[in-house]
Amino acid sequence: MAASARPTIWARFVRSPWRDILQFVLLVALVVWLVTQSSARLGYNWQWYRVPRYLWQVREGGVQSGALLEGLGFTLRISLVSLICSLALGLLVALLRLSDSFMGRLLSRAYLEVIRNTPLVVQMYLAYFVAGPILGIGRFASAVLALSLFEGSYMSEIFRAGITSLHRGQWEAAYSLGLSTVDTYRDVILPQALRRLLPPLTGEIISLIKNTSLVSLVSLADLSMQARVVAADTFLTFEVWFTTALLYLAIMIPLALLARWLERHYTLLT
Amino acid sequence: MAEQERRDPIITIDSVSKSFAGGIEAVRGFSATVERQEVVVIMGPSGSGKSTLLRCLNGLEHVDSGSITVDGIPLDDDRHHRLEIRKEVGMVFQSFNLFHNMTVLDNCVVGQMKVRQRSRAEAEEKARYYLDKVGLLAYVDARPRQISGGQKQRVAIARALAMDPEVLLFDEPTSALDPETVGEVLEVMRDLAGEQITMLVVTHEMAFARDVSQRVFFMHDGVIHEEGSPESIFERPEKQETQEFLSRFLAR
Repeated sequence: MAASARPTIWARFVRSPWRDILQFVLLVALVVWLVTQSSARLGYNWQWYRVPRYLWQVREGGVQSGALLEGLGFTLRISLVSLICSLALGLLVALLRLSDSFMGRLLSRAYLEVIRNTPLVVQMYLAYFVAGPILGIGRFASAVLALSLFEGSYMSEIFRAGITSLHRGQWEAAYSLGLSTVDTYRDVILPQALRRLLPPLTGEIISLIKNTSLVSLVSLADLSMQARVVAADTFLTFEVWFTTALLYLAIMIPLALLARWLERHYTLLT
Repeated sequence: MAEQERRDPIITIDSVSKSFAGGIEAVRGFSATVERQEVVVIMGPSGSGKSTLLRCLNGLEHVDSGSITVDGIPLDDDRHHRLEIRKEVGMVFQSFNLFHNMTVLDNCVVGQMKVRQRSRAEAEEKARYYLDKVGLLAYVDARPRQISGGQKQRVAIARALAMDPEVLLFDEPTSALDPETVGEVLEVMRDLAGEQITMLVVTHEMAFARDVSQRVFFMHDGVIHEEGSPESIFERPEKQETQEFLSRFLAR
C-alpha cells in the first residue's frame, strides 16, 4: 500500500504550484549564496543603507531624485526620442527597399549594409565628432542620430519581413479595386503586418534601450554613466550595479508585458 | 466584320503577348473583342494563359506587346488610365483575397470611399445592398476568418459590385471552394449575368458556361484556339484539343 501511495503524493506534488514555488525559492537561494560567497571571498562589506540617497533625497521637505533616478530619466528620454526616430526611419527605409524606384532600393540597401556592418560605438563617435560639428547639432542630438540610424537599419528589416510575409493577393485585391499604393499600405498591408512584426519589433526596442548605455561614451549622463560615477565615488560597486540592473529591468519588463498585450489585442482583431 | 463594327465592344484586345521570367510565354498574340453586357466564359487546360490574360485586363500584369482598350480607355503606362480602368473593371479571385484586417462590411466599403470618393454612409448603404443581394447581410460585422469559403467568395463579389464596375473578371472563382459551397457562388453569378454587367469568367463549370454565357473562348497555348456559342463549343467542337479537353472534363 505504501508503495502505491508514494507515487501518488509525488505525482500530486509535480502537478501542484508548490513545485514551481520550490524551484523558484531554490534558484533565489542559489543566487544569494553565490553572491554572498563571492563577496565574502573578496571581503566585500555590504552597505545597502547607503544606496537610497542615490535614488532619492529628501531636502527642504521635498523629495528630489538622486543621481541614479536622474540617469534613469535621461535614459527614458533619449530612448523615447530615438525610438520614434528609428521607427520612422525603419519604416521609410523598408518602403523604399520595396518600392519600384531603383535609386530608392539602392540607397536603402547601401544604408543597411553600411550601418549594420559597423559597430554602434564607432557610429556614436562619428556622429559626435564628425556629424555633430558639420550639422551643428549638440551632444544629445548626435547621440539620437547614431542610435536612430543604427536601430533604424534593424527595424527596416523587421518591417520589410512583416510586409513581404503577407500574401500577394492582398495587394492584388486592393489594386483591382483601384486603391493607390499609399492607401493599400495604410488600410490593408500595414495593419496586417503590424501584428506579425510586433514580437521581433519588441526585441529590437529592448535592444535600443539597452544600447542607450553607449551614450555615456560621449559624456551624456544616462543611467549607466551615473552608475559609474556613483560607484567610483562611493566604492559601493556591488550595490550600485545591482540597483542599476534592477532599474533597467524595471523599464523592460512592463514594456514586454505591453507588447504581449498588444499582440493578443491585434490577434483578436485580425 | 461589318456586323461586329455595328456592335458596341467594351473590351478590345489586340495581339497581346505576355511572358514571364524564365521565358515562358503565357499569352501569345491574343486578340478578341467583348461586347457590352456580354458574358464570356474562358476555358482551357492549365497553363493555357487564361488567368494571365484576365490579370492583364485590369493591369495586374503588364503586357509585353499588343494593346488593350477598356470602355474607350487605353491600358498603357499612364497611371490615370490604369486607375480609370480599375474603377471600371472589378475582379474576383480564386483565393477570395478578402482584407483580413477588416469586417465584411468594411471590405465592401474601403474601395468605394478611397476610389469612388463616397461618404461612409453612402458607401455602407451600397455595401449593405450588395451584401444583401449575395445573401450575407447577417454577416456585415463578421471577420473574414469567421466565414466559410463560399461566403468569402460571395463577399468578394459584393465588394467588386459595390464599386459599380462595367466589367467583372472572375478568375476561377469556385476552384478553391468545398464542393458543397460551389453552388451558392455560382447561383450569385447566374443572377448577375441577368444584369447590365459584362462578365469574363475563367471557369471549368460546364453547366454554368452552357446556361449563362453567350460565348466561350477555348484557350490553348496562349491564344483562342476555338470560340463560339456554348452549344457549338460543347456539342460540335471542331479542334482536336477542344474535343480532348472537353472529353476529359465531361468524363469526370
